[in-house]
Amino acid sequence: MNLIIFEKITVADKLNSMFDFKFVPQTFMALVVMAIILVFAIIIGIMVRKAKITDKPKGILLLAILFFQTIDNFTLSIMSSRYRDFTKYMIVIVPYLFICFTISLTGLPSPVVYLATPLILALTTFVLVHSAAIKENKWGYFKRYIEPNPVFLPINLISMWAPTLALTFRLFGNALSGFCIMNLVYYGLEGLSDVIFNSSFSGAIGIQSIWIAPLVTPFLHLYFDLFSGFIQTLVFSMLTLIYVSQEQSQEDENQVIEEVVS
Amino acid sequence: MEYLKYIAIGIMMMSAAANAIGESNICTHAIDNMGRNPEMYGKLRTAMILGCSLVETTAIYCLLVSILLIFVG
Repeated sequence: MNLIIFEKITVADKLNSMFDFKFVPQTFMALVVMAIILVFAIIIGIMVRKAKITDKPKGILLLAILFFQTIDNFTLSIMSSRYRDFTKYMIVIVPYLFICFTISLTGLPSPVVYLATPLILALTTFVLVHSAAIKENKWGYFKRYIEPNPVFLPINLISMWAPTLALTFRLFGNALSGFCIMNLVYYGLEGLSDVIFNSSFSGAIGIQSIWIAPLVTPFLHLYFDLFSGFIQTLVFSMLTLIYVSQEQSQEDENQVIEEVVS
Repeated sequence: MEYLKYIAIGIMMMSAAANAIGESNICTHAIDNMGRNPEMYGKLRTAMILGCSLVETTAIYCLLVSILLIFVG
């Protein structure tokens, strides 16, 4: 009699569950990531209010300040200083994406593997880009759709969605390929472990399949979760900044003031 | 007819070869210039990794479509 404690879910089942838009674990995980960021934000907010200017920042506050400075420099290296408010958006999106990728280190499902999460993130970028363009050009914004001549209107309307699609599938494809390879490796190693330890652990049913995987998979986790997550966060935030800054005028704040004065 | 799917996946993953050529171009030029002026090492490495990950996107699209064809389609 061969009882299995956990019912084995194959990779195909997991993938099938990803494409029907129901309440899947990934949706729940997106909320969990949000909750983690919220807790950190509240803690840091309380610490910032308690801190005095004369004291040296310590611990988590120091890390928060360093993080803020890094993001601020990153934003200013691409955008002009007139749009410094954009740092506030980046300070949310960078930890969100990075925690989304790294949460799979804990064994919980990553929300990026669910198509809705990258799609929503890319749509946010889309809204930001077009609102920046409308803010900059006012009614001249609609001129871009009939750019060489009005015949190109349908082509322009389609190509409007190309960056959004690219952003979505870049994130989704990266996360999904890592997820698939990890799952296949886990599945194979469980089988191997079953074969090797089945005789010696015949009393404890189901436990014989967990022995080999922890020796091999940490390196894969290191690449697919940490490295890939970091790179994709960097690429997503940088592309968002570049797309938005293309629509904005590149004059510095100081230049504008100088022009007004002279 | 079921097996045609796997031939399609094989053809699709051939584009990974073109992708590898592109990535090797990026790495070659980056390393060349790192040798020429080593003080730019940090900046060049960042730009190289960013460029590589942008170029990699095409291969990831192919992998994505292949995975979907194998498991879902």
